[in-house]
Amino acid sequence: MAATIERLPNAELRSDVYRRGRNRVQRAVTYILLTAAALMFAFPLFWTVSSSLQTWKELRSFEPHLLPAIPQWGNYAMVFSSVPFARWMANSFLITAITIPGVIITGSLTAYSFARFNYIGKEIWFVLMLGTMMIPTQVTLIPQYVLFFNLKLINTYVPLTIGSWLGGGAFMIFLLRQFIMSIPRDLDEAALMDGASPIRILWGVLLPLMKPALTTVAILQFLGDWNEFFGPFIYLNKVDLFTAAVGLRFFQNIPLETSDPRDHLLMAAAAIMTVPVITLFAVAQRYFIQGVVLSGLKI
Amino acid sequence: MATLASRLRFSERLTTTKQRRENVYGYLFLTPWLIGFFGLFIGPGLFSLYLSFTKYDVLSSPVWIGLENYIKMFSDDPLFYTSLGRTFYYAGVGVPLGVIGSMFLAILLNAKLRGLATYRTLFFMPSLVPIVASVVLWKWLLHADFGIINQWLIDLGWSDPPGWFGDRRWAIPSLIVMGLWQGLGGTRMIIFLAGLQGIPESLYEAASIDGATALHKLRHVTIPLLTPTIFFNMVLGIIGGLQVFTAAFVATEGGPGFATTFYSLHLYRHAFDYWNMGYASSLAWFFAFVIVSLTIWQLRLSRRWVFYYGS
Repeated sequence: MAATIERLPNAELRSDVYRRGRNRVQRAVTYILLTAAALMFAFPLFWTVSSSLQTWKELRSFEPHLLPAIPQWGNYAMVFSSVPFARWMANSFLITAITIPGVIITGSLTAYSFARFNYIGKEIWFVLMLGTMMIPTQVTLIPQYVLFFNLKLINTYVPLTIGSWLGGGAFMIFLLRQFIMSIPRDLDEAALMDGASPIRILWGVLLPLMKPALTTVAILQFLGDWNEFFGPFIYLNKVDLFTAAVGLRFFQNIPLETSDPRDHLLMAAAAIMTVPVITLFAVAQRYFIQGVVLSGLKI
Repeated sequence: MATLASRLRFSERLTTTKQRRENVYGYLFLTPWLIGFFGLFIGPGLFSLYLSFTKYDVLSSPVWIGLENYIKMFSDDPLFYTSLGRTFYYAGVGVPLGVIGSMFLAILLNAKLRGLATYRTLFFMPSLVPIVASVVLWKWLLHADFGIINQWLIDLGWSDPPGWFGDRRWAIPSLIVMGLWQGLGGTRMIIFLAGLQGIPESLYEAASIDGATALHKLRHVTIPLLTPTIFFNMVLGIIGGLQVFTAAFVATEGGPGFATTFYSLHLYRHAFDYWNMGYASSLAWFFAFVIVSLTIWQLRLSRRWVFYYGS
């Protein structure tokens, strides 16, 4: 008994010192790993900017310069004068200006229907909607192309934007539905008692509360359209109609006035194309992360 | 008695009016999606199923040829097998690496340490780079002669570094490396972070009391409780990974040789280069069959390894 009393504090003290030392090692290891990873993630971004400001001779000198001797800001001007890159960026923006209102309006309507009404067949539609996520796009691609071809809608933005005005896709609808379901029904019912129509409840009660979800959806739609390559690539074949993504690929291969390497210009174009996305992220960072939380993916 | 019956009838009428109202408004608001679902999904899907039994070049009408496309696919199209194999290689290596990598990044970020928000932002940034821009960047980073990575490899003593995108053996690994750079710190990592935050602190405390080390906790608490998240990311990752198109198309156009001619590129060529829309449709339907079966198989398999806490 006496021995136990004597030994206990000592043992506890020892394990405490041990634990604290171990925590410090753990923390150091964590920081080292994180920093190494951060360097690997950040370097390519740094290299894009640095390469875009070098001359092609610097870039092809067999001795890489981490920084340009003299920053060649003219490279950026060269991009805009070599190809209609400003036009392509504007086209990309135009597409998002069409799709974002579409997904907000029709996506909310669909989500509202799934979240708040009990009608015959609802469960089946809901499962079918989620099922569309599993089917590869190639299955509908060819008939859709044939359809738009026959409707003479090649070289218009209709094929690229119509989906956003017809619900906007399963993921967006699911995300909005989850969010509506988290809003207490009492609010709807109070409005209903006051004689509000369902569309009035959506517009006056739910939509104002859905702002965070709607912002997330708008951002996801923007990112998706900005990134989208395949659709614009098959539906647009006039250079003036290209989006930034299709344009950048085009810029890789087309003949220019000079036959000099154009790596620096390509890097400048890649940087230009990334700026809007990074800017959006900088101003609305929390909504990027919210998308995950909102869809209820706590799993 | 009469009053009860009339009351019953009244409430019945009330529920039917209410039910009718629910039906009317429910379907009214569902209409835009229903139009899209039938017009852009079910309609085209059925039409493509029909086309898969025809010879069709868009300009003339489809000619019914029965199972010929499917027979050709399995017996007379070597690229069908090659492209399927290349696609499985890409997804089979890239997706597990990506999922596990994202999980470990999330675990590191979940430590309660200062400055982690900055790291999270840094990790997330590459996922924002549009894929075409990312390809342009990585083709330059991995340029065989002037790429900075090969220059470093030479400095480190590798006198004959890989040709990356220009080398048959290295083209897919190059795409995987690029995909990891873009994908590790993106949405998938955020999903893992959300999963980690759902693990009750009490489990770690209990493990500590039992004398568990950090590695024990990782193996016996964190990873088992993350299995639902791992599973979810694997399923979505495989569905997406098998459909890889843009990266390979923009980086190498399926080359060198046919090294990166993935299934979707093979399908694209038949559809839009050779205008074999019928054959391309049969390729598409077989692909849908593969993806759906794989997903169902994963769901089945998940019962053996996915652990749902509290159920």
